[in-house]
Amino acid sequence: MLRPEINELLTQTGPGTPMGNLFRRNWIPALLAEELPADDCPPVRVKLLSERLIAFRDSDGRYGLIDEFCAHRGVSLWFGRNEESGLRCAYHGWKYDVTGQCVEIPSEPDERQSTLCRKIKLTGYPLVKLGDVLWTYMGDPERAPARPAWEFIRVPAGHAYTSKRWQECNWLQALEGGIDSSHVSWLHSSGLKSDPLFAGARGNKYNLADRKPFFEVVDSEGGLYIGVRRNAEDGHYYWRITPWVMPAFTMIPPRGDHPVHGHFWIPIDDENCWAYSYDYHPVRPLTEAELQAMRDGHGVHNEYVPGTFRPLQNKDNDYLMDREAQRRGDTYSGVKGIAMQDASLQESMGPIVDRSKEKLVSTDSGIIMARRKLWRAVEALRDEGTEPPGVDPEHHKVRSASVVLGKDEAFADACAEELTVRPGIRHSSV
Amino acid sequence: MQRRPTLLSSCARAATAAEARFRITVAEPAARASRVIALDEAAAALVRGLAGQHWGGGHFLVYAGELAADGHDGAAADARLTTPDGGQVLLSEELAGADVAVMIATGQAGPEPAEVIGDACAQRQIASAGLVVTNGGRADAVVAALRPNAMVLVVLPDAGDIPGILSALRV
Repeated sequence: MLRPEINELLTQTGPGTPMGNLFRRNWIPALLAEELPADDCPPVRVKLLSERLIAFRDSDGRYGLIDEFCAHRGVSLWFGRNEESGLRCAYHGWKYDVTGQCVEIPSEPDERQSTLCRKIKLTGYPLVKLGDVLWTYMGDPERAPARPAWEFIRVPAGHAYTSKRWQECNWLQALEGGIDSSHVSWLHSSGLKSDPLFAGARGNKYNLADRKPFFEVVDSEGGLYIGVRRNAEDGHYYWRITPWVMPAFTMIPPRGDHPVHGHFWIPIDDENCWAYSYDYHPVRPLTEAELQAMRDGHGVHNEYVPGTFRPLQNKDNDYLMDREAQRRGDTYSGVKGIAMQDASLQESMGPIVDRSKEKLVSTDSGIIMARRKLWRAVEALRDEGTEPPGVDPEHHKVRSASVVLGKDEAFADACAEELTVRPGIRHSSV
Repeated sequence: MQRRPTLLSSCARAATAAEARFRITVAEPAARASRVIALDEAAAALVRGLAGQHWGGGHFLVYAGELAADGHDGAAADARLTTPDGGQVLLSEELAGADVAVMIATGQAGPEPAEVIGDACAQRQIASAGLVVTNGGRADAVVAALRPNAMVLVVLPDAGDIPGILSALRV
């Protein structure tokens, strides 16, 4: 349960909002690198943290993320011409470089051009390619942190695959799904048996055999570790440990030798977010079969309405609900695929769920603690300028793990190494 | 007979901000029967402070010692608890009708209270949770004692989040 004013504090991320300012202390995914595949390719409209922006790649391969609208008459630069090291407005030919600096106003006399151009600069944010993702930092340029160090963007090319999908709800309820480990035994139970990116792992049988897991929530420097334990053989527990790094990174515990996966939940505006979904393997390239399964929408990925990032299963078609599959047990909810099973339910909560009405129980403690930490960090940044957890790239060097431990072992101690990135060493997975 | 859906996708389409305001209009039911129990002296001071705040009917208690089982087969041990005003009650009485028991401990706590309360909750099918405050130190022994006895265990660096956690659980 959250009071309405705290719910607003945590869910609103537009310019000038406290949570928006916290997001703006971080490098965040802005778009997939594949969306700007070549120099002078078509520009892409991007809405992030309620700001309307346009991304483009100029003739020299430089990336830019600038205000979408021309300073002259407010026309969208998406209609513009990306040519000769700049983006030119289609209306009157005003031209901008990747920083948003106006570099040409062709209707003005030549002798006044440079003077007038110098005075006109659109908002511009850095845009850098790391892994398969273009990252931006939308905060104070004087305080830009070091670039992100997430393992999925640091492994060799071919070891990782990233997709994104539009989710039609506030970022926080999507994030909360990512750290709500208790739903897996229900909503995703069928996927453990059939999804090619999950099936066959020894740990799956523990998931399916013990539907009343115990939970343990432990603080970390960047956020939390949420450990979920189930009974295993001979006085042992099967632990699945999910790291959450503030504000919006989660990593799902791995299964067998399958690639490990997770999400970023990035606000588009207060009623929509991007779910970035990554898969990677720390020590080997993804196989062609794995890549094909990901492209086909298995695991944490999804199928699309062709030519868009909108899921093929969406609210306009009731997520292609299949009641017969639900009845047969092919899927628990009747919706196909892990990603859309989550998204369908999270979107059904409404654009921004009213948390003053919810009835949390003790097994929701991971969600309760994540909200508490966000709340504290937002207030500390707002009131004292304290740097939030998760900004320091050292906080990014986390891993999820699935392990079998003795009953007396504390996962945070027993798995300290397993929960940290160790280049060249396989993730710990059962 | 083939059933044809009426108002196809209307439920999902109705998920607008305006509509969301009218959701879950049912009144909040009577407060949960929550029992917040301190397991050691430092936690007791914390719990006595919390008891003075406004809550939704939760009982704030301090573990004061085990009472031996009466020797009948299957009879569980009981325990004495103290209330914030110095009164004494039995654990078995407090758990009668309780929905959840939240155990609060620091590194000072021994294993006995967690075992006694955990067993009593398990026997009665009552949800149990443990909040361990480390205050920057180690609390390995109490965490290990609570692990098999609490469905949910939260390890906290300080006590600052405890009121918020209890509020979220509608104690």
